Amino acid sequence: MAEEVSTQESRLGFTLGPGHISFAVDESVYPLEAVYGACYLFLEKCFIYLSRAGSGVVKVRLTARGSATPAELDALAGEFANELLSQATRLRLSQATMRIREYYTAAALRAASSAPSVDDLLAELESEELLEDPLEIMVPWEEKHGAAESESEPKKDPK
Amino acid sequence: MAERITFDRSLYLPEAVDAAAAAYAEHANIQITPTADAVVAVISDVGDHDAQTVANAFCNHVLHETIALRRQAMLREGE
Repeated sequence: MAEEVSTQESRLGFTLGPGHISFAVDESVYPLEAVYGACYLFLEKCFIYLSRAGSGVVKVRLTARGSATPAELDALAGEFANELLSQATRLRLSQATMRIREYYTAAALRAASSAPSVDDLLAELESEELLEDPLEIMVPWEEKHGAAESESEPKKDPK
Repeated sequence: MAERITFDRSLYLPEAVDAAAAAYAEHANIQITPTADAVVAVISDVGDHDAQTVANAFCNHVLHETIALRRQAMLREGE
């Protein structure tokens, strides 16, 4: 890309040029994957060009799609920097919890593979002898206790 | 006026530059020259379009292709 003709420092410390703003990103602080993640989200908002500003340093150049004031460019770069920080944090958390997430996924898959299928459950139900009633739940109360109670009940004197 | 853009190999995939050049073939003449640590694209004959805007849009396209290709490669590695 063409070299910047004239530059000045923005309120947030970025380098302002005509219609664009640029800044350097240290890869030891913000991994390249985080830079890509932030770029991906900003591709619709502005034009992005990446270049090497040195070993382990990425220079990000954001160009407004239309006319933009220095304050608007500054805000754009500020939003990008915030997103960069968010992406870097997500990446670090993702890496830190990768083992435990893999473990839980594997455990869930193991449990799912060993769980009985619907057909197995239906077959089990059919095999059970549902008509057996050892506790005599299906026997009416009158049949079970009625006669005994009527016998033990003292007879009332009609007088 | 031709726009010369240097895509550093450590940041952009050469395949992404090729894919973007193919996508923009109808809108401009794009010459790709690979070097040891970069791929240089020279954009010319942009017709009625603004050369700078075409160059900026081309950069976005290359970046998008690079991110997409890298993510696909990472998914394949994870399989």
